[in-house]
Order: sequence, then structure tokens, then C-alpha cells
Amino acid sequence: MALNYRGAEAVVTACEWHGQPAIEKRRNPRSYRHPDLEVRLVAERLRAEARLLERASEAGLPVPLLYAVDPTAATLVMTQLPGDLLEHALRAPNGAVWLPLLGELLARIHAVGIIHGDPTTSNFIARGTSDGDALGHLSVIDFGLGAASDDDEQRATDLRVLLESLEAHHSELNAREPLLAAYREWNCSAGALERLAALEQRGRYNLVRG
Amino acid sequence: MGIESTAHTAGVGIVSPEGEILADCKAVFTPPEGSGIHPREAAQHHVAALPGLVSDALADAQLAPDELALVAYARGPGLGPCLRTGATAARAFAHAHELPLLGVNHCVAHLEIGLLEGATDPILLYLSGGNTQVIGYAHSRYRVFGETLDIGIGNMLDKFGREAGLEFPGGPKLEALAAGPELELLPYSVKGMDMAFSGLLTAALRKFADGMELPRLAYAIQETAFAMACEVAERALAHTGKTELVLGGGVACNARLREMARTMARERDVACFAPSKALCVDNGVMIAWLGYVMQAGGYETQPQDDRVDQRFRTDMAEVTWR
Repeated sequence: MALNYRGAEAVVTACEWHGQPAIEKRRNPRSYRHPDLEVRLVAERLRAEARLLERASEAGLPVPLLYAVDPTAATLVMTQLPGDLLEHALRAPNGAVWLPLLGELLARIHAVGIIHGDPTTSNFIARGTSDGDALGHLSVIDFGLGAASDDDEQRATDLRVLLESLEAHHSELNAREPLLAAYREWNCSAGALERLAALEQRGRYNLVRG
Repeated sequence: MGIESTAHTAGVGIVSPEGEILADCKAVFTPPEGSGIHPREAAQHHVAALPGLVSDALADAQLAPDELALVAYARGPGLGPCLRTGATAARAFAHAHELPLLGVNHCVAHLEIGLLEGATDPILLYLSGGNTQVIGYAHSRYRVFGETLDIGIGNMLDKFGREAGLEFPGGPKLEALAAGPELELLPYSVKGMDMAFSGLLTAALRKFADGMELPRLAYAIQETAFAMACEVAERALAHTGKTELVLGGGVACNARLREMARTMARERDVACFAPSKALCVDNGVMIAWLGYVMQAGGYETQPQDDRVDQRFRTDMAEVTWR
């Protein structure tokens, strides 16, 4: 994981939590927003993200463990996951091995009633395939834009965001088919895949006028 | 020369290849008190106004028709009857003077006008009555990174203004009335990269009906809606890594919106370009400029270019001219 990373929402830094190496995610305040609005948004979003992380780890998903939530300081402290950003791992010679794992993991996230909200290749952590035969392990981070929902439309949006991120940065992998094939293994995937097809027909995403 | 007629403004602009604005003539349809823009009435207004605007523009630019290189018009998106009057005027003028004719996208024109301000590859925060979008160029297409899921931000302001007894357009009147710093909390609806304004409108109308004073409500509406727009623009900047922000659309004339956008840009180390009010609102200059940019970039007119398209999407056409 890139430390001292500044996203659109928050700054992520390395820290220590009772002797354990950890990371701290701090939402940076926006001075263009009215202070009362800022306080409300930070509290709402921090709470939502913490809840989703808890829900995900209770369901056994590979996510960071939440150590602490501090609404006043607008921070979350959580375990630091070992590994490399999927964004980088996909560039390795055998990068394509991650795609089925990625499709499977997104299906698992959806299966427990979570919408990630921003499943780009920078929000997955890949660990270990160096010896070639052992399958690597993939974890997911940053539920800051997520929601608890079983809505196929939102699942389809997740898929669309992930596909767009793969097409934009890793077009050489032709990721679509292997990713969707793995997602399709999930026995409840049909609705989301159907919505995905409809979504891609819409003006916003379509390449041919529908 | 560019002809604009997507909504309530009929505009004719002339721009030189160097980006010098030689003429910017406009006539704005004002609906009767208490009502909004009726497409047919606006179109009738444009029919009456456009011939005079074309003559005025040529006079301002001190050019004869045969000195023009191109007639561009806004093909869409917009109100059908209004679009057709602009297209008809452009077609008639182009054919009469044997000039090439090119239909262009209105939203992209708002973005490209930012290049006249000094931007090179910006994100556009486009806030008007009908359109609320965050647009940028990526992978040979103009992409919509975020947009409203229901009504346009200006439409929300105008609708509230109408219900509160203010004249059309309501946005500038609300701006003048807004008084803080106490903030009444209203629904703040950013979903990923998109935003929604109808919940905010409903809540504000309910508070107005319950007797809340207009200055306080106007302030809350502006603070909430503009923060949503700036947040989505900021996400698009972070997502794309672009370092320029351009403001466009009638709502981008609002001083508080400009201030918020500038603050956001400064904190992100992003340059913020806020075109003059004349170029933020609908105008013929930006249509002329986009037409020129496309023509100079080798764009070849497609058969469908000679037809208006009310739902002309920003991201529909592959960009071959950049």
C-alpha cells in the first residue's frame, strides 16, 4: 500500500496502534464547504465507512481490521495490509492471473450486501504469486463511497467502474471476459450482469448510439 | 460564425482563428412572470431575433459574409423547437453564402471556450439551468465524470425562486438575497461522482412553506448545492490527475460558486479558469470557436451533423480533431 497517499477524500499515513504497525485514514477538511456542513458530512461518511468495514470483516471478506474510529479527528485506524496495489501487480508479466480473483472477490463483496462504490485497481491489494504455482491473495480497501445494498443496479455500477478502470490503465490485458467469467460463477450474478448490459447501452457509457 | 439557440438565449458570435472575439450578440427570451421557458415561445422569440443578431454580429466584426470560413451551430442538447430555429438560420445563411456548415455539441463548446482563457486540458464544471455535468477529455472522447441524476442545478434554483415568488431566473435573485453565516441543513446528495438536487428542492420548499425567511434559505440552498458541485469536480480532478478547472454555464456566474471553486482549486494546486459572465452563459462565440477547432483539427462533417439532436450526449462522438 502506498503510504502518505492523498486521495480525493482522505490522506493515508503509516502509524502505530499499541505497538502494531497500522495505517491512519484522515478525511481532510474542505475549506470551501460551510463548517457545519463539513462536520455533518465527515461524521456521516466516517460512520458509514466504519460500518461497512465491520460488516465486511464479519462476513469474512479480506479487508483491513478496524482498530479505532475517531469522529472528532475524522480518522479511522486500521491494519496495514501487506502486498502491493493491484494497479502495480497487474503490470507484472503474469498480471492476468489476478483477474479471476478480482471478479470472484467483487462477487463476494456483493454477495454479503455491500456495494464498494469505487472498485478501481488502486483499491485492491495483491500479495504473493512469486513462486508461480501458488495462487495469490487479494484484499479490498477503501469503502469510503460504499453502501449497504442488494441493488443490482448499484452492483452493475461497481462492475462498470472496475471495468472502466481496467480498460483505462490495463487495456492490454483484455480484462473484461476473464473478470466477468469469474463474477458469473456467483449464483446470484445474473441480475447485476443484466443491469450492466442495460447500463452500457445508456448514453453515458455507450459507444454506439442505442 | 457560431449560432446558439439551445434554450432561452439566441446568440451569434464571430471569432478569429487566433481566438479573438469579434462579435458576441445575444437576445434572451424572458418568460412571462410566474412561468418557465415554454419551448415554442422561446423558439418564436429566436425566429424573430436571429436575423437581426446575424447582421449585428457581422457589423460588430466588420466582416462581409464571404469573409467567414465556417458557420457552426449548436446541434444539441437542448429544447427541440429552439434548436431547430438556430439550425435553420445557420443552414440558410451557409447555403446563401456558400459557406461550410457544422453542427457542434453545446456542452463541449462550454469546455472548449476554456481554452481561450488559457487552459489546455481542463475539467469543466458546467452548471446551468438544464445541464449539470463535470466533463473532461480522456481516451479520445469527452467523458462525463459526474452529472446530475435528476434536475439541473439552475433548474433547481429557478424552480425554488418561482415558488418563492421571485422573477425568472431565480438564481441571481437568490444570490442577492442569501445571508449567512448560520446554516440550515438541507439534503446533501453526492452519490459517487453524481449528484441529485430534487431532494434539496423539496426540503427547501417545505421549509419555505413552514415560514423560514428567504435570505436564510437562499444561503442554505447555495452553500449545499455548490458544495456538492465542487466536490464532484474535485473528485474528477483527483481521478484524472488533471490540473486545470474551467467553470461554465449560467450558474457559474454566481460569485459564491466561483469563490468555492477557486478555494477548492487552490487547495488542490489546480489552476481555476472562470470565463467572463458573457462567455459562461450561452453564447454564439463558443459555438463558433468549437466549430473552428473541429474544422482546423480536420473534422469531416458526418451525415448526422446536419440534424439537431435534443439529447446530444457529450460522450457520444469520438473526438478526431484533438
